[in-house]
Amino acid sequence: MIDIRHLYKRYHNHHGSQWVLEDINLSIPAGVSVGLLGRNGAGKSTLLRLIGGMDTPDRGEIVRASRVSWPIGLAGGFQGSMTGRQNVKFVARIHGADDEIEEIIAAVESFADIGRAFDEPIKTYSSGMRSRLAFGLSLAFDFDVYLSDEATAVGDRHFKQKASEAFKARIGRASLIMVSHGEGVLREFCQAGILLDRGRAFWFDEIEDAIEAYHSAGDGYVPPRLATVRNLEEAKQALAEANARFDAAREALDAAGDSAAGTADPPEETLRWRLDDARERVHEARRQVQQFTARKGRKRAARGPDRPPKNTSHDKTSAKAKRS
Amino acid sequence: MADSLLPVAGARRRGAWRVARSVWFAMFMREAISRTMADRMGWFWMIFEPLAIIGVMVSIRGLFMSGSEISGADHVPWMIVGLMGFGLFRENMMRALGAIDANKGLFAYRQVKPVDTVLVRCFLEGMLKSFLFLMFMLIGNLLQFELMPDHPLGVLLDWLSLWALGWGAGLTVSVLGDLVPEFGRVVRILNLPLLLLSGVILPVMYVPYPYRDYLLWNPLVHGLESMRVAFFPGYHTLDDIDMTYLWFWALSLLALGLLLHIRFAAKLKAH
Repeated sequence: MIDIRHLYKRYHNHHGSQWVLEDINLSIPAGVSVGLLGRNGAGKSTLLRLIGGMDTPDRGEIVRASRVSWPIGLAGGFQGSMTGRQNVKFVARIHGADDEIEEIIAAVESFADIGRAFDEPIKTYSSGMRSRLAFGLSLAFDFDVYLSDEATAVGDRHFKQKASEAFKARIGRASLIMVSHGEGVLREFCQAGILLDRGRAFWFDEIEDAIEAYHSAGDGYVPPRLATVRNLEEAKQALAEANARFDAAREALDAAGDSAAGTADPPEETLRWRLDDARERVHEARRQVQQFTARKGRKRAARGPDRPPKNTSHDKTSAKAKRS
Repeated sequence: MADSLLPVAGARRRGAWRVARSVWFAMFMREAISRTMADRMGWFWMIFEPLAIIGVMVSIRGLFMSGSEISGADHVPWMIVGLMGFGLFRENMMRALGAIDANKGLFAYRQVKPVDTVLVRCFLEGMLKSFLFLMFMLIGNLLQFELMPDHPLGVLLDWLSLWALGWGAGLTVSVLGDLVPEFGRVVRILNLPLLLLSGVILPVMYVPYPYRDYLLWNPLVHGLESMRVAFFPGYHTLDDIDMTYLWFWALSLLALGLLLHIRFAAKLKAH
């Protein structure tokens, strides 16, 4: 349970500087994972930092009646000149885990799975490796609420899978408050949503409603909801639709890149996230098609020795997805 | 695999004092490693740098001034004691100046406060300098430089006083230097005049009588001269050396520094 009461926050305390967050009143129940949505500069990361206790509000208060993690993200938290192992040790010590320190190091090492780089200075890491380490480190502690600031945005497919499994294993015991531009990620992890718009916060019990409200507050673009497919034909159709949407998103992004910088509306970054989201959906649709073909193939194999028909569509899509 | 990563540490509810203690311990280990192991030959330079400074100073003195005694003390040990005492103060102040900025990334963990970084750095710096001073005494004695304190307890007390002064200056300067970057620059510029006005190289007894009163405004003069009196039998110095004056400065600076840290804690973190 996290209670936010009459919270005000602004930067540069000069007279007349605008509130980033203005009179926020929220109560985030225990065990509910929440996605934070809003445009760039709407104060998502600021709110997350305030919840995590990294920053202090100008007015109002935040009552944390649970163990809250630090914001898991890419920036900060590590000393570049020290190795991954030394950094993990440091964080474990700060959290008072003096006796379990070896176990924590072993657990983080195996989760992050970055091999020998664990004993190299952090400044030599790629952003993917940093996020693996940051993610593994935060999961080594038993928090009630994990704060994630785009932590899942990087990393390869395999690691994303691993991270989401680790989180799902904790549902019921722990919840998540996350900032992400990837709607797929938000849908996957969050039940409720908070929309930040012009300094105000709006609570939605359903993440879908929050995503819809976010888009209608923005430019009116509403992403189609995922349809459930029942057979191969429907799956193929969904794949074709996903492909078309991916192409459209790609074209929109290209067009925005051609026009003068900064004049594009919606901004280029939004388009990029939209493209990523479309790509995720192509992958998802392709997986469904593969599932159905495999099922069909098994049935056929049970009947006779003839080979299942080769599906060429997913080769095409993977090439398309790689292009960006 | 995901299931290999069971949470092994419960983030138990701890008291403020226990949190502060574990933060200090963690920061200390980390600072100690990065100070001594991070650079190539970190250990070597830590010992060789002050040694080289002492060597240069002693040879300059040998070139331009005659006599090997200063107010009843051999000039090499006299210089070593002065430089070590001044170095203790200066390093505490200067290391603290960069402490907050160097550890910005760590404020991601809400347990770490800006004041912790300064306290830990000053503690580590004092420990390193004390170790170094003891080692110099040992080596000096082996080389027959008469580097054994006459009143060890007096020297210890004066050493701790200079440390406290450096600690107070460090706490104050770290906040001001972070809020107003120009302030840090000014402090760096003031280093050299301070060295000359503290009687480290130029003996205070050489200063003409009318100017001695002004010299005594500098608390470092009191600390260094008092330490030399305790160190060398038969050393004589100005009459008005008073450790109470130094402690007045040290306690004022400590109080001011801590107050500034409390007042500007949020601002220092947010920068």
